[in-house]
Amino acid sequence: MSSSLKIDGLSVSYGPIPALRNVSIEVPEGGFVSVLGSNGAGKTTLVRTITGVLYLQKGKVTSGSITRDGQDMTKLKTRKIVTGGVAQVPEGRMLFPQLTVEENLRCGAASRRDLAGINDTLSEVFDLFPQLPPLQNQLAGLLSGGEQQMVAVGRALMAKPSLLVCDELSLGLAPLIVRDLFLLLDRINKEGVAVLAIEQNARIALQHSTYAYALEVGEIVLEGPSDELRENQEVQDLYMGGGGDSREAYAAIRREVNR
Amino acid sequence: MDILASTFFDWGVNLQLLVSGLALGAIYAVVALGFVLVEKSTAVLNLAVGEFLMLGSYFGVAFFMERKTNIFIGTLVITLVMALFGLAIHYGIMRPMVGQGFFAIVLATIGIATVIRAVVQMWFGPLEKGNLTALPTGTIEVAGTSIRWVDIIILLVVLGSVGAFLVFYARTRTGLHMRAVASNIEAAAGVGIDPDRAYAITWAMAIGIAGLGGVMLGHFTPSVNPALAAIGLRAFPAAAIGGFTSVGGSIIGGLIVGVIEQLAGGHFGTKWREPVAFGILILVLIFKPTGLFGQKDLERV
Repeated sequence: MSSSLKIDGLSVSYGPIPALRNVSIEVPEGGFVSVLGSNGAGKTTLVRTITGVLYLQKGKVTSGSITRDGQDMTKLKTRKIVTGGVAQVPEGRMLFPQLTVEENLRCGAASRRDLAGINDTLSEVFDLFPQLPPLQNQLAGLLSGGEQQMVAVGRALMAKPSLLVCDELSLGLAPLIVRDLFLLLDRINKEGVAVLAIEQNARIALQHSTYAYALEVGEIVLEGPSDELRENQEVQDLYMGGGGDSREAYAAIRREVNR
Repeated sequence: MDILASTFFDWGVNLQLLVSGLALGAIYAVVALGFVLVEKSTAVLNLAVGEFLMLGSYFGVAFFMERKTNIFIGTLVITLVMALFGLAIHYGIMRPMVGQGFFAIVLATIGIATVIRAVVQMWFGPLEKGNLTALPTGTIEVAGTSIRWVDIIILLVVLGSVGAFLVFYARTRTGLHMRAVASNIEAAAGVGIDPDRAYAITWAMAIGIAGLGGVMLGHFTPSVNPALAAIGLRAFPAAAIGGFTSVGGSIIGGLIVGVIEQLAGGHFGTKWREPVAFGILILVLIFKPTGLFGQKDLERV
């Protein structure tokens, strides 16, 4: 099976501080993969590296590679990456608060050259999020968190991606809204768009993805099919507040990684 | 204040002052646009904006006084040359300084201002030139009062070009990308907008329009001289009325400041012009810091 994204032995550091060490992740074409991790695990660094905005924080890839269909994209500029079919829903939504909903969505098509197709995609996005058309001319900064997240997902879809990278989609949102958003991701995924969900909310991520990785302190500590990981005691302890000794289990993993 | 009674209710005088105030205000609007646009998009306080206008006026001297160039061709060339100058400033100075502190970059714009003033004096000499006369110099009778053609033309030219810019900024794809970069640069980079390109276009447009404003200023003022650069300070009261963030608001702010200044100068004597302009600045900052058109930070968490 050909892969939509292949990360191979990736290490990234901010100056002398390592953020990712020897990380390997694969997203099959049309697949739904999640990466779990708690705060400081390196999730955001991973997203920044994939989407080519690492340089904004002065981060550097020290080894390893990111490839798509065998093509190296480790050092590509964001514009090229987006043109190549990778769009992101950034952590914290990152909308343009002073621009309207429609303008925010249209910015998602910034890298597209088929100007005629943009309006079609816009109406597809409006179909997917029926809440958005009435808000079309509202300033994005005035929307609720859930609405903002919809705009952020819609904006990413405006690039007509073949891979959607979602960074902490669930962050700060009510459980019902999170559920709806993930159901939408399923729908988008069924239409052939591969999804890579970077998530702190392991429960929902494992429910919707087919394969998952656990990232801690910059390293992949666990990986496997999502339904297997869901039953995994360690995962439950770490991310689902399972047993009473989750704190110790977490500390044990951190110790192991740091060694 | 002694002449107050004699002219205050003379509507002919008031009409003259209103029209020349609008013309002056239109030039202030250009100053404010060059300041707010750059500040909003690139987070650089461009303290050289007055020098850019002054340079535009001197280009006017070179083209219209020394060479008798056609006004349309000359103005177009000056605007384009100034736009290229804006590009040079972006690529030559601002881009290499990315990541440096706010204050360092402000100092760099002061450096640019000083260099422009020095170069202008070396090139044209320290003496005053007369005013530019390439635009029609006559007057027109309106309601029994003679109004300068120059004032009307300046107002129309500036409003036309600034209006064209605003339409570009609000309605085109490139304008949208410029506003996106101004709103959230990281998000803009994330969707594949090239912030560097947006910055370059911003500088080119801001300085190009300043060049056009300089040609108009050279026609409005009695003499072209290096001190014209002081007009840059008028960006502050105009931008304050616009709330420092609203490009459209700062243009209206410029018009308001120009009209109030001309009225105050005409009725109370020219020495009142500056105190009134900067009095407005202080009052706005105290009582309405977001300006008449500014918006508070729109971030609902």
